[in-house]
Formats: sequence, C-alpha cells, structure tokens
Amino acid sequence: MAKLVLSSGGSVVFQCFVDKERLGVGRDPTNQIVINDPSVSRVHAAIVAVGNDHILEDLTSANGTIVNGKRMSRRILQHGDVVEFGAFHLRYLNLKTATEVELDRTMLIEGIAEAQAGLPAVGEALPVPRTRAARIKFPNGRVHMFTGPRAGKTIELDRVVATVGKPGHRSAVLVRRPHGYFLAHVEGRGAPRVNGQPAGKEARRVNDGDVIEVADEKFQFSVD
Amino acid sequence: MLGIMARKFIEAAAATDLGNVRQYNEDCIAMDPELGIVAVADGMGGHRAGEVASAMAAQIVLTGLRERLPELRSGTDQHSPLLAVEESINQANLAIWGAAQAHAGRLGMGTTLAVALFHDNRIVIGHIGDSRVYRLRGGKLQLMTRDDSLLRDQVDAGLISVADAGASHNRSLVTQALGVAERVAAHVRQVDAVPGDIVLLCSDGLNDLVEDADIELILQELRANLPLAAHLLVQTAKDSGGYDNITAIVARVRKPFPAARGWQRRLLGWQH
Repeated sequence: MAKLVLSSGGSVVFQCFVDKERLGVGRDPTNQIVINDPSVSRVHAAIVAVGNDHILEDLTSANGTIVNGKRMSRRILQHGDVVEFGAFHLRYLNLKTATEVELDRTMLIEGIAEAQAGLPAVGEALPVPRTRAARIKFPNGRVHMFTGPRAGKTIELDRVVATVGKPGHRSAVLVRRPHGYFLAHVEGRGAPRVNGQPAGKEARRVNDGDVIEVADEKFQFSVD
Repeated sequence: MLGIMARKFIEAAAATDLGNVRQYNEDCIAMDPELGIVAVADGMGGHRAGEVASAMAAQIVLTGLRERLPELRSGTDQHSPLLAVEESINQANLAIWGAAQAHAGRLGMGTTLAVALFHDNRIVIGHIGDSRVYRLRGGKLQLMTRDDSLLRDQVDAGLISVADAGASHNRSLVTQALGVAERVAAHVRQVDAVPGDIVLLCSDGLNDLVEDADIELILQELRANLPLAAHLLVQTAKDSGGYDNITAIVARVRKPFPAARGWQRRLLGWQH
C-alpha cells in the first residue's frame, strides 16, 4: 500500500497510508492531511485513487503545487515523488510500483462509465502509448554502400530493422538488438554473403567491418 | 462449399513467447488461414487457470466460426458475419464461465480475446479486454480496437492525458474479460480488406513494450516474410524487457475474397 510522509526541516511530522479514494491536503482542519503553513491554501490539493494510481491534483491553490521542483496541476504520483507545500515536503512511497518493471498480473476492474458512454462500442481509438520507455541501450551501427542504387551513401541503422538488397526480389534485413546487429534473409533465392561466404538463411550476427552482399547491394557494416 | 473461393486468399504466421519474467505462457493462438480465421487470447487467473481460459477461448471461437462458415460463404444463410463472430465469442464466454463455476481452483479465471474473420472482402474484428487488432495499409499502422482497460477509460474521460498515460500503473487493469460473468458485451465491427493489407493480432505483452512506430516498420519491411515479421515483433518485445507473455499473429490479404452469392450460385447452376 502506498504511504505519504510529511516532513519539515528534515523531520517527519505526519505519515499515513493512502487508503481512501480521496485525501484532501490543505490548511483547513477538514483535510485528511493538514499543513499549517501560511503559504498553503485552505483547500490546496487532493490525492485521488484510480486503479493502481494515485493522482495528485492542485485545486487551484494560491501558490500552486510543486512536484520534484516542477509546478504542475496534475500528476500521476510515482514512487519517491516529493511534493512541496510551503516549508513542508510530502513524500509519496509505493513499493508496489517502485521497480521499473511492472509485474502486476492482469486484473479485472470496473470501467469508467462516462468514458464508455459517449463512444461507439467499437471504433478507432487514440493509441495509449507504450509503458514507460524501457531503459535499453542499443548499439549505434551503420552501413556504407559500395554498389547498387544507394552506392556511396552511408545509412545509419537507428531503427529496429533496415532492409537491404532489392525489396520484392531478393532482400535481407539488418536487425538492431541490445547486444548487436543481426542479418536475416527475407526473400528471394540465395542467401546474403558475408565477407564472400554464403551467410545462410538463419539470422546471424554481423561484426564491425563485415562486407555484406545482398542482391545488387554490396556494403560494409560498422558499429561504434 | 468453398469451391468458388480461391484457396489461400490470406497467408498468416504467428509467434508466441513466455517473455523474460513469467513462469508460464498464458497466451494462446488459434488459426485457420485457409478459412481466414485468426485469434489470440491472453488468460488470467491463478493456479494456471489463465492457460485454461485462453486455450478454451481461442479453440471455441475457432470451432464456432468453422461451424458457421459454410453457410455464411455459400450465401444460403443470410446471417451476418458479425453475428457469427459475436455468437462464437458468447459461446466461448459461457463455456469458460461454466468451467470456472465447476472447479474451485478456477473461479475467477478469464481471458482477453482478439479474433479476425476474413470474409467477403471484409475483416470482421471481435475483441474483449486489452488484446489488440491493428491493420497496416499503405505502410501506415492503424489500431482497430479500443482496449477494455481502465487506462483507456481514463484517457477517454479526460482524467489523464495521452502523454501521461505512460506514467500510469493501471496498464494491467482490464474492464472486461471472457469467462468472468454469464454475459459479456463483445466488441464486433467490420472493416474492408484489400490485397496487401496486413492484420496484426497481439497480446499486450507486445504493444506495451514495442512502440507503434516500430510495429509499423517491422510489418512494412517484412511483409514478404510473415514468419520473420512475427518472430521479430516478439523478439523486439523481449529485447525491450519482455515483462509479460508475448504473442503476435500477422495475416496478409493476398487477393480479393468475395463470398459466393446465392444468385451467383444459382446462375452458375443454370449455366451448367
């Protein structure tokens, strides 16, 4: 369960579990988290639970709400977030979501009726972006073309796949992976050649300096 | 009778993987490319019940459509293909729900489902939960389903922005699944199909980790080699973390596939 820790001048003055659907924050004693600081509004902010998230909302307070040094009106709280209220710091701790990896198993939950009401039962939707960008490091590689329609050009391999050869006839892809680049046959008779040798149709790793031939394209691969 | 229909009007390939973290693969695939049926299910529920639910969903929907297809395609049945998909999904739902009631360890098991039926130059898309269907046409990827998920609802209700959705922890919360209630409201629609279209069905283990732009690129560049496309989609999700099971089915329309019409068949009958 998520926890909130209120501190001032380095010492903890209050802490609680986020066990309600809504927690009010402000100077007024009716709030669940009361902060006695003249720069805090009576009704300053609220923390609302939605599914696994706790969303902090500024309630148009006089001095605004600052999370991790940045002013914002709404924020999906993340483990370790620090919210400033005058001289007070409110820290949000949620070990369940602390790891970068989200291992929660799929669970069934009530939907939001208003969200579904106005929509056709099905229809193209704005895609929700993928989960927090995984911190995967990819190598930086490129090929320099000797022959074919792109002769003389250097092509950066900065996407997951790059086609080489003659698409529709005889082609292969260079696949970027965290631990290196791989060459895989896509279509057409005959496998690509690497350093003059047939490379086979299975994906194989390519190394810095390898000279590769696919259809009428001959090129050299290099990687930083 | 499928005599009039040319064989192999679509070609399809699939790949599935446990991922890097999970102990079991609870995703399941069912497909019959010759008939134009592909389905993906992603199960949930403890004691490996998720595997049971997803396998039942995929298999029952495939069987249900196989049974309904001959009549649909001969034109003797005026039933809509949308209804055939909906009925097959409801059939799967009841069977899983019944199996869950009968077995204490399986109570609460459920599954998502995404199914595509290629029929009469159209693709009928059915889905429940957060498994998705995409279509690639002219190099552009388009999402054809709306996730039954809390996050999707939050975005649509304006509670959080699309940009913030990536920071949410509600990704794994689905608002509908097969097998958890006696009735289910399946989403069923149809879209037109033209030669060259590529349809992707996937479990959330793919689209949670691979950006749409990369999915688009892989499908476009590998359209001549669907087995490699499916493999590379799954591999990319694994390379990006692979936190969940990953499943992808890709199907490409090779030629038009009009269904035989009743009057056409009668006409042919007169001519012979």
